Amino acid sequence: MIVEILTGAIRAGTSVLFASLGEVVAQRAGVINLGTEGSMLGGAFVAFAVTYQTGSPWIGLLAGGLAGLLFALIHAFLVIQRRANQLAVGLTIIFLAQGLTAFMGQDYVDKQINGLNPIAIPVLSDIPFIGPVFFNHDILTYLVFLLVPLIWWFLFYSKPGVLLRATGEREEVVFSLGKSPTLIRYLAVSFGGLMAGLGGAQLSIAFTHTWVENMTQGRGIIAVALVIFAAWLPTRAMLGAYLFGGAQALQLALQGRGLEVSPFLLFMLPYLLTLVVLFIVERRKVSSMPESLRKVFEGERGGG
Amino acid sequence: MGTVMKWRKSLIVGLVMMMMLSVLAACSGGDDTAKETETPDEKKEAVTGPGTGGSAIGFLFVGAKDDYGYNKAAYLGSEGVEENFPDLKVLRKENVPETAEAERVMEEMIRNGAKVIFPTSYGHLDPALNVAKRYPDVAFFHQGGLKTSENLGTYFGNIWETVYLSGVTAGKMTKSNKLGYIVSFPIPQVLLNINAFTMGAKSVNPDIKVNAVFTGSWCDPGLQASAANSLLDQGVDVLTQHQDCTKTIIETAERRGAMSVGYHADASELAPKGWLTGAIWNWKELYSEMARTAVEGKFVGSKFNASYRIGIEEGAVELAPFGSSVPDDVKALVEEKRLAILDGSLHPFAGPVKDQSGAVKIEDGVKPNVEQLETTDYLVEGVIGNIPK
Amino acid sequence: MRRFWIGLAFVLSPFVLFALFLLSQGANPLESYQAMLRSAFGDWYGIGEVAIKSTPFLLTALAVAIPARAGLINVGGEGQLMIGALLTTWVGVFYLQGVPAWVGVPVLILMGALGGAIWGIVPALLRQYARMNETITTLLLNYVAFFTVGYFVHGPLKDPESFNWPFSPKLDEALRLPTFGSTRVHIGFVLAIVAALVVWFVIFRTRVGFRLRVIGGNAIAALQAGIKVNRMQLLAMVFGGAVAGIAGMIEIAGIEGHLRPMTGFGYGYIGFLAAWMAWNHPLWTIGTAFLLGAISVAGNALEMTSGLPSSSVSILMAFILLTVLAVGRGSKAS
Repeated sequence: MIVEILTGAIRAGTSVLFASLGEVVAQRAGVINLGTEGSMLGGAFVAFAVTYQTGSPWIGLLAGGLAGLLFALIHAFLVIQRRANQLAVGLTIIFLAQGLTAFMGQDYVDKQINGLNPIAIPVLSDIPFIGPVFFNHDILTYLVFLLVPLIWWFLFYSKPGVLLRATGEREEVVFSLGKSPTLIRYLAVSFGGLMAGLGGAQLSIAFTHTWVENMTQGRGIIAVALVIFAAWLPTRAMLGAYLFGGAQALQLALQGRGLEVSPFLLFMLPYLLTLVVLFIVERRKVSSMPESLRKVFEGERGGG
Repeated sequence: MGTVMKWRKSLIVGLVMMMMLSVLAACSGGDDTAKETETPDEKKEAVTGPGTGGSAIGFLFVGAKDDYGYNKAAYLGSEGVEENFPDLKVLRKENVPETAEAERVMEEMIRNGAKVIFPTSYGHLDPALNVAKRYPDVAFFHQGGLKTSENLGTYFGNIWETVYLSGVTAGKMTKSNKLGYIVSFPIPQVLLNINAFTMGAKSVNPDIKVNAVFTGSWCDPGLQASAANSLLDQGVDVLTQHQDCTKTIIETAERRGAMSVGYHADASELAPKGWLTGAIWNWKELYSEMARTAVEGKFVGSKFNASYRIGIEEGAVELAPFGSSVPDDVKALVEEKRLAILDGSLHPFAGPVKDQSGAVKIEDGVKPNVEQLETTDYLVEGVIGNIPK
Repeated sequence: MRRFWIGLAFVLSPFVLFALFLLSQGANPLESYQAMLRSAFGDWYGIGEVAIKSTPFLLTALAVAIPARAGLINVGGEGQLMIGALLTTWVGVFYLQGVPAWVGVPVLILMGALGGAIWGIVPALLRQYARMNETITTLLLNYVAFFTVGYFVHGPLKDPESFNWPFSPKLDEALRLPTFGSTRVHIGFVLAIVAALVVWFVIFRTRVGFRLRVIGGNAIAALQAGIKVNRMQLLAMVFGGAVAGIAGMIEIAGIEGHLRPMTGFGYGYIGFLAAWMAWNHPLWTIGTAFLLGAISVAGNALEMTSGLPSSSVSILMAFILLTVLAVGRGSKAS
């Protein structure tokens, strides 16, 4: 049962992890993007449609990532250039993406694609316990495993990463170095959108091989919430996303075994578990929220 | 504050003012529309009664029309009506929530000339009854309800008969004796189907267990795929479902080499290897027949002005074609049972029927009626799964 | 004068854009707009429907605006509304059968407010004692609220006469909000407008409101000035939640009559946008909530007459919001 739950955690959590990792980068630069949900949805639809049209999931994946990026660019423009309220823009982008993808996606709901399938890694997948849990997934899952340390390295050990974090903390420092915080923010938000698009694509062309309207069902919003849970660390984002996926797998596994609990209480499990873990971690540490993000949460108020 | 701030204000002021202006403009012209809608009544005095004299027929769907499932089936039915009534405009509204919002939609349809309305989801019943009270000249056909009124009738297909037959198929085909049922919410229609499937499977294979898993959603492909994988990991080898969109689960089963039983629509093309059969709707003829009854002024007192139910004999519910993996002896057995249901010698829920705890729910020798079945609130023996009490 | 024309162009731009979209889909934009206007404003019925629809938007917008004044972001109007509706139904169905309206209705309003307040105080407490960001906790609690309502309507609150379908029993007729004439328009709309006026008065004309605004302006300065920031923020969330909870009460007692799994679904998010468009100003929210209500009502007509799917309404809504956003607040130069 434990193998089943852990495997299920990775299956259910991977699309969320993609989006969360992207949001870690965007929020490190000081922009919170609830529109991540919209980017995921855009990625899921475009990846599916392009895969169907071209027959190649790789082109589909690329197109899905770009679609996510495009929605994020709208966010970046309105937030960075027009200084609009970040949360309101995010919500609006969710509406926009839901409308556009549902509208354009009508003809794709009953279509079949040759998507990405799980690939068992030779030798590794034969290791008991660890093998089935970690080494029998689609290629995008392996990609995200690699991206976690890469993004961590980028943020903390590369020069652009330091600049990006500086943009989120003290943009005047970035200015004084002759770099443009605006440009850096644009890039960070775009990367966030790209990752969310890839997450959506993982959902549509790798995990489910399906497109239906509004198929992300709030996963992008969860991804944004998890970034705060993760204290803006890629490794903790991984933990969070798989914890969320694990809670879902756990509730399904418990139901399958006839546990005498109302399914509605089990449906809450992923959300309650996230809250509880958030409760435990946030109490202990001094908040590591990027300074300019603090402004979004605490500096934006009515009347201004 | 900054000029841009003022811009924003003037923009919102503009939007609000535009709204006010259109109120005035529309109000002054309001009388004309009222007169227009009255004229058709006078012309067609020959035919009277609820449903007559309209210029449109309205359909409400609870989900999106292209979900390969429940709403798609109903949508296809509305297309049948569109073909058969070229003079009438068909008004459709998707994603109508099961709240008072449905009342607003029906009122809007009536104001657009509809005299016949099909609310196709269970939760549209109470809103429809409210609207029906206000508009005695409009005929309502509600899909699945048990309450009726003078101008509102309900209809439904006894799909549990075909679900039972697909359970028989699954019971014969399984090797692990574990069947998986992915369901949405614990509502009577869903519970009835789980029970029918289980009764069917157990009738040919008493050792069978059916694992029922609720997703808490009508269409969330990610959750469906998770649930399907979870059940397959637990050793289930036949998957079936009660969801609005059905494609993901069937394809997931196929990719993992498991068998699948469909629901709502024939999806055999999605799973050339593992498809067994499925229980499907065919509303076209019934919808048109009901619409005709109303339009011709024969609604009151007709069989549709009540809780009308049809089963496999009339063809509104069907068994989907068998998949290539189903051997002839299984096909023959299912056909035998189908004929037995048709001639009345077999009732899938003939007592004794026991629930999960072993308590007798239907006494020995009793054949429950439709109303008893459509209010099911228990799971039968052999189902693993839990419902709120 | 030039400003006027530019402003007009801005107001019209989302509609022009959407008209092009309609044209590209083979629908007649003029006919569609006409149908939309007629359905929302064509007669008193339409206007009434807009009023009904915008009532919960207005109240959930206030639920955002009050905490926003104290520097808090409440995205939980959705959940607060649902729990308010749940508590209203629970008390109304089990304890207030046969109670006269003049006792029952105020009790129900209190219950709705209580339910919303509970769902509002939890994130406020979590923020103060566990440093948990209220934006995230209110969002997550929305999901919990949705499933909590599901749990109750499928279980303890299920109507024994509902043929085992997930509805609560009906509220006593006496406890339903009075309606105007034979329409569906109920006094909830009036209540909501009164609420907006009261909130405006408290925030801009009382000492409590002044303190609230000081906190929203600069929490540290407020602390130095001796204002009890924590307590005031708690209060703001409690009242915000309570207002959203009253929206839930109005949905039950004014419109639905009983609780269903989907009661009020999605209203909280639209309320958030209404509040934001109105710059969190209680009086402006009346206008923006009415505008968003009108679009929702008119959207039904758009779908029926043009034959376009329901998603096209979201597209129009997003176009309008994006235009407002693009005008934005510009540089912070003030």
